[in-house]
Amino acid sequence: MSAPADMLSAHVTPAQERAPEERVAGAMRTFVQEVGALSAFRLESCIHCGICAEGCHFYIATEDPKYTPIWKVEPFKQAYKREASPFAPFFKLFGLKREVSAEQLGQWQHLLFDSCNMCGRCSLICPIGIDVAALIEQARHAMFDAGLAPAELYQKAARQRETGQPEPSAEPYREQLLAIGRRFGVEIPLDRAEADVMLCVPRTDIEQYPSAVAALARVMQHLEASCTFRSDALVAENYGYYAGGKAWQRDISLRLIEQAIACGAKTLLVPECGHAYTALRWEAADLYGRPLPFQVRHVSEFLAEELQAGRLKLKRADTGRTTFHDPCQLVRKGGVNEAPRQLMQALGVDLHELKNHGGFSFCCGGGGGVVDIERAAPLRYRVMENKLREIDDTGAENFLTSCSDCRHTFDDARAHFGWDKSPRSLLELVADNLSSADGRS
Amino acid sequence: MTRDTAELVGEALLRHGVSRRAFIKFCTAAASALALPPGAGLAMAEQLRQRPRPSVVYLSFQECTGCLESLTRSFSPSIEQLIFDVISLDYDDTLMAAAGEAAEAARTKAMKDNFGKYVLIVDGSVPTGAGGAYCTAGGRTAVDMLREAAQGAAAIVCVGTCSSFGGIPLADPNPTSAWPVSAIVSDRPIVNISGCPPIPELITATLLQYVSTGQVPELDSHLRPKVFFGNTIHDRCYRRPFYDQGKFARTFDDEGARSGWCLYELGCKGPTTYNACATVKWNGGTSFPIESGHGCLGCSEPGFWDKGSFYAALPEASWGKAGRTAPHQVLELGAAAAAAGAVLGLAAAGVSRLHQRHSEQSGDQGDGPQGGATGG
Amino acid sequence: MDLLGFARGPALKVAIAVFCLGVVWRIVGFALLRIRRDLSAPRRALLKTLGAGAWTVGTRSWPHPEFIGRTGAGEALGYSYHLGLFAVVLLFTPHILFLRSLFGVSWPGLPSSLITIIAVLTLTLFLAVLFRRITNPVMRMLSNFDDYFSWFINALVLVTGLAATAHVGGPYERLLALHILSVDALLVWFPFSKLMHAFYIFPSRAINGALLARRGAVS
Repeated sequence: MSAPADMLSAHVTPAQERAPEERVAGAMRTFVQEVGALSAFRLESCIHCGICAEGCHFYIATEDPKYTPIWKVEPFKQAYKREASPFAPFFKLFGLKREVSAEQLGQWQHLLFDSCNMCGRCSLICPIGIDVAALIEQARHAMFDAGLAPAELYQKAARQRETGQPEPSAEPYREQLLAIGRRFGVEIPLDRAEADVMLCVPRTDIEQYPSAVAALARVMQHLEASCTFRSDALVAENYGYYAGGKAWQRDISLRLIEQAIACGAKTLLVPECGHAYTALRWEAADLYGRPLPFQVRHVSEFLAEELQAGRLKLKRADTGRTTFHDPCQLVRKGGVNEAPRQLMQALGVDLHELKNHGGFSFCCGGGGGVVDIERAAPLRYRVMENKLREIDDTGAENFLTSCSDCRHTFDDARAHFGWDKSPRSLLELVADNLSSADGRS
Repeated sequence: MTRDTAELVGEALLRHGVSRRAFIKFCTAAASALALPPGAGLAMAEQLRQRPRPSVVYLSFQECTGCLESLTRSFSPSIEQLIFDVISLDYDDTLMAAAGEAAEAARTKAMKDNFGKYVLIVDGSVPTGAGGAYCTAGGRTAVDMLREAAQGAAAIVCVGTCSSFGGIPLADPNPTSAWPVSAIVSDRPIVNISGCPPIPELITATLLQYVSTGQVPELDSHLRPKVFFGNTIHDRCYRRPFYDQGKFARTFDDEGARSGWCLYELGCKGPTTYNACATVKWNGGTSFPIESGHGCLGCSEPGFWDKGSFYAALPEASWGKAGRTAPHQVLELGAAAAAAGAVLGLAAAGVSRLHQRHSEQSGDQGDGPQGGATGG
Repeated sequence: MDLLGFARGPALKVAIAVFCLGVVWRIVGFALLRIRRDLSAPRRALLKTLGAGAWTVGTRSWPHPEFIGRTGAGEALGYSYHLGLFAVVLLFTPHILFLRSLFGVSWPGLPSSLITIIAVLTLTLFLAVLFRRITNPVMRMLSNFDDYFSWFINALVLVTGLAATAHVGGPYERLLALHILSVDALLVWFPFSKLMHAFYIFPSRAINGALLARRGAVS
């Protein structure tokens, strides 16, 4: 499964092999099933102004028109007009639109997966108000059912669905979690029968940033919160979401939902991960089929609430001149804009905002599963140059973020470019600067 | 009114005490109106004096006599009357003293004596319905009389919109099946001097030119003399600056109307009407409808009566009764079309949803429920 | 019947009918597709969400400051010719009279010579916009027959209108007839083309704004 020399041809696992007609049939079936009034309205409204390209950092970095966001869903616009639009009979009768072909879908894999972080900036810039990112998400579903999800994402999604872990590890995550607790001297609440808050962790943290795992546990301990991890649902990430496999996304989310119900949790706490927040806070209920019987909170908004309530007390942290990278899924798409800033203010962080910050922030470049796709790396690095420059331009010595995949992406860039910065976790900063009533931390 | 047609024009003028100077003045005025070169008026006068008075037969069919009234109207002795000293009007059932058999006999004699040389003037439209019975004189239909008279005519001058284009009798529903002269006769030179009525100077000048030179003036596609009908009223209207500025009278007695602003909003058809009203004007150059504060009716154009209300502004939609569209008609049309569209849209959505349901039932079950918060 | 009578009589009638039929067909045809309820817990109350949606209709009219550098010129160009068209269509007295004959309402217009100036400027912008569509690589890649033909039909209306007003290019009644016929053609083409964005733009912004506000996200 080595990456083909030509980046524009599809790259899939053997399990995804199928005949061209089957690919088209799979894509069209899913597409037809999913298109509703809202997505139809979005596909109808596009006036080909090309402004969405100006919001997408893939276009901005390369000036290559094929990265225009709405162009990424072009086969599906075509299919909509031909199959489901009000004038579909005319399109078919007069041959005004061709049927989508397997080659076309194959070519579009690069556009929909390698060159899209699902960051949602295009949805914000469209003057007609089309949620282009939502259309891309739907397009990914169709691509998945065409057997055209990129190999790396497909594999991780398949494994996570089956075992709860996207990749095998020498030791199961359960054991690694407990080991982290011992190493950092913090209690890991595990498999309690009842708890108010159910916890989970990004597997990126277990593997690469164990101090963040410890930080989560420490903070919860400090708050004396009734919380627990559950062995059967430890991982926050959802590779089904990245790969576009909706049923798998559901199955993966269901693990967490069922465990949260099993321990009677009132809150499902999403750790420092962006897309996990999208998958759980905004999409899980629909996949589950009914409203969730608990609230979903990202750790930063949970901590901000605790701060407002006076239960969380923080000391001043000395990070020097600092900036903050807003994870797309959390802020632009998730609406958690103020919480990180409230925490940083309480920590006395000398914050210098990025030129594009908050809901306008540029994606780290690794979102949407892009950081997992090997052949997309050259393109990703090109795109990241702009972001790294923006961070440098603030003159900050340090920068914070609240998503472990963003951290991993930036650290990968640091290695590639020899960059001088590495992001610090906001959660860790909070955990390192807890202040109790008697001044002890 | 039958005269000795061997009498020369000059002799007739002398007999009436019309001086040579007066006659030259008359001819010069006509030549000027015809935009002929200087000196043409003098030449015209001299030529005519030497000629025998041309025979003219004036047939009136379905008309209101307005055209003849226009020609014969005079507040003070009008120089236009001189035309009657130039031509020998051998038949005109309104003006002539004779009536009945005697009048018809005069006509037949004049046509026979001057066969091939007389000028046939026609006003009024020609009905063909009910075998032509809607207009008869002496038991003969207008159609027959026209066809007969046309045979010996050197040229036919249609005076007024009725004979030129059918006019008011031809307007919807055209109960008499009225036609213009040009629809009945096609083998003779025809000059249409349209207008309802036409400006008298246009008639006399055209006649004068024809009888003095034997040439019909340059005609437009409607067979009207280009020199009089080549421009629209709008092109020569003195209120044009107000049109260009967008200053319009909104009602007949408002501020704009009193200030002499453009009458476009009050239905003036000036822009699409070809005539000389704005330059030659009426009653010896006294005024014309727009100058008197009323919009042009477009009376010199074919079908002017069916082209829409006189008070409907030119850009208005015109598909209703009297060519005027009422908002409720638009609403009804729109609502009906929208209802039809809704049915079609419902059908389209229904087909799509059926397709969806069918696809779900027969498709692979791995897709699960149709969730996706941002989708739909 | 002459060409002018046809243009503003039967042709106009058919054009209005096709327009109404097509617009409703198209909107009903997709609006009645499935609407999925969002089962996630909203961050904002419903009223605030709807209010934010309405607000987005206005705010999306102009790019956020972060985007202006890259999109300001293009959007300004696009809006300018739209404003020019609206001014010409709605504030030229003959047009007001036309609309009054259809809908029974009227309003004061601008001086006709000013409208002519605006129309000429709009035509210039039209040409600029076509040039941009052809030369900008993104737009060129995205553009299809619909984009070019919609431009053409609109430009035709503008050009025939200017010709009629200036009385240039033939007898006035023919120029006027051609102008009205081109409007009829525009009305017939409208529902099958991108011009439908006239109906879509405000609801689309409102919906996007509301859905984003539901999540507490910036719109």
